[in-house]
Amino acid sequence: MNRLDNWGERVTRRLAGRLSRRSALSRLGALLVAAPAFPLLPVQRARAADAAAPAQKGTDFSHAAQTHDDTACNYWRYCGIDGNLCSCCGGSTHSCPPGSQPSPTSWIGSCINPDDQRAYLIAYRDCCGPNECNQCSCLNTDHAMPIYRPQANNHIIWCFGTQSFEYHCSMAVLVGLAE
Amino acid sequence: MKRIAHEANKAAIGVAALSMLVAMGPGAATRAAGAATPPVLQSEMAGVTPFAGLSAHDVAYSGMDGITDGGVRIINGDSGGLVASVYSSQYANFAWAPDGKTLYISETYWALGNRGTREDVLSIYGGPTLANEGEITLPGRLISDPKTHSFVLSADGHYAYNYSFQPAPAVTVVDLRARKVVDSVEIPGCGLVFPFGQRGFASLCADGSLAVSDASAQGKYSVHRTKRFFDVMTDPVMDESIGDPASGLALFITYDGWVHPVHLADTPKFDKPWSIEQAAGLSPATSHVGQITWRPGGQVPAAYERSRGRLFVLMHEGPPWSFEKAGTEIWVLDARTHRLLHRWAVPESAYLVAVTQDAHPLLFALSHKWLWVMSPESGAVLRATQIVTPALVGVRGE
Repeated sequence: MNRLDNWGERVTRRLAGRLSRRSALSRLGALLVAAPAFPLLPVQRARAADAAAPAQKGTDFSHAAQTHDDTACNYWRYCGIDGNLCSCCGGSTHSCPPGSQPSPTSWIGSCINPDDQRAYLIAYRDCCGPNECNQCSCLNTDHAMPIYRPQANNHIIWCFGTQSFEYHCSMAVLVGLAE
Repeated sequence: MKRIAHEANKAAIGVAALSMLVAMGPGAATRAAGAATPPVLQSEMAGVTPFAGLSAHDVAYSGMDGITDGGVRIINGDSGGLVASVYSSQYANFAWAPDGKTLYISETYWALGNRGTREDVLSIYGGPTLANEGEITLPGRLISDPKTHSFVLSADGHYAYNYSFQPAPAVTVVDLRARKVVDSVEIPGCGLVFPFGQRGFASLCADGSLAVSDASAQGKYSVHRTKRFFDVMTDPVMDESIGDPASGLALFITYDGWVHPVHLADTPKFDKPWSIEQAAGLSPATSHVGQITWRPGGQVPAAYERSRGRLFVLMHEGPPWSFEKAGTEIWVLDARTHRLLHRWAVPESAYLVAVTQDAHPLLFALSHKWLWVMSPESGAVLRATQIVTPALVGVRGE
């Protein structure tokens, strides 16, 4: 499973870096990162519109976001995060703290970087295993969807496919441009 | 049993008291004789306070996720006192039988705490002391911040519907009288449960439609989709919308405050949507960036008083996509005439709201630390009780 996950992530990153705006393949990229374990499952696939929706004029979150402190809730990548920031728990925006394990599944958001005003795909991946970190708890809901649209929902414990379903913290892994 | 024990222990208590006086010296006996002699305290037997069922003015709430302990706690709205507590796992959901005497909890455990064999169960509590009465094994369940409509009962309490997401979405149907799982209904692209009729339920779908599931006379479920009735990309319906299993009425409330009344049935009837903000004489909220206006928000942002058709909604001033922000006011709306009746300020921003279903209702507003008991007629705060961070809330007859 890990090899498949890694392959999926590599392919997605490559596609995200090369694709034109709103291409059909970027939709596929979002899908691959959102759910490497999903292809056999009847979950409705992510639409590019989920991720690309805020790209035009910015959002209320992006207007107040910053790009230098990834331990603050208004860090630009955290536009849709709900939970404890792994950056405050011994990890980072893209690595789990020691003792925890990254989930191979995630949900996908799209956040605008205030420095270049471009929208990027963000994979919100949970780190699982230890008790809840309970540091830097954030609740951002920019374009977060209800639970019946799970591919863009931040209330689900995304610890599918790990040894433990215990939620510890959340990462915001940069995937690529969403435009 | 208590009286016999009391009589038998009297002699022992007398001997013990005499021994203490002797041990304290000769002056102690004299002082004791000179003062008014208090009655000898009666011996006691430890027991459990009887539980008569969830009363009309009780409110039950569950603890939140992994930060706060789980559990279901019952508070009496007339006194503000804690009535009873029941254990649960993290991320549990609960539902009461219609008579308020049996509590069902949908929960998940692992053999070694955070790992090992997983077990999803529907735990049953009831009887004269709200004791555990066993479990029904479930084939799976959703683990998330708890949602009211991921575990609900049919109006007559015969069936429980448990939403499962592993991550294939399905609804497990449990016969509570037979205490067994009778079906698992796949609802691809959809989620949550809003029961209607004897065995029917509707689920919200990711394309803005409903999936309607109902059982044939032979008990076999079939599923079909309705038309799309809301735009999920710009203004989704909230998970925590209103469902009334008895009448089949659902009030689906969107992030921007549009109420979509739907009469659930095999062929649902969709009434014209109306705007909460327009009912208050304001322009409708939109998802346009920068529009700061009044919007519904919170964890459980709405409650419905069935007999009078009154809708209580936690409202805040905020931008689009602020649908989880706590409410600074409760708006009271007539859901039949689409009129705003009152705007009540809450003492502290509230995340959950509930209203009792009796003839003299109480209104509850819950922040992360306090339960405020309010009059739904005047908005007056009647009393307040400190609570642990709440996840879900329920009253009798919902």
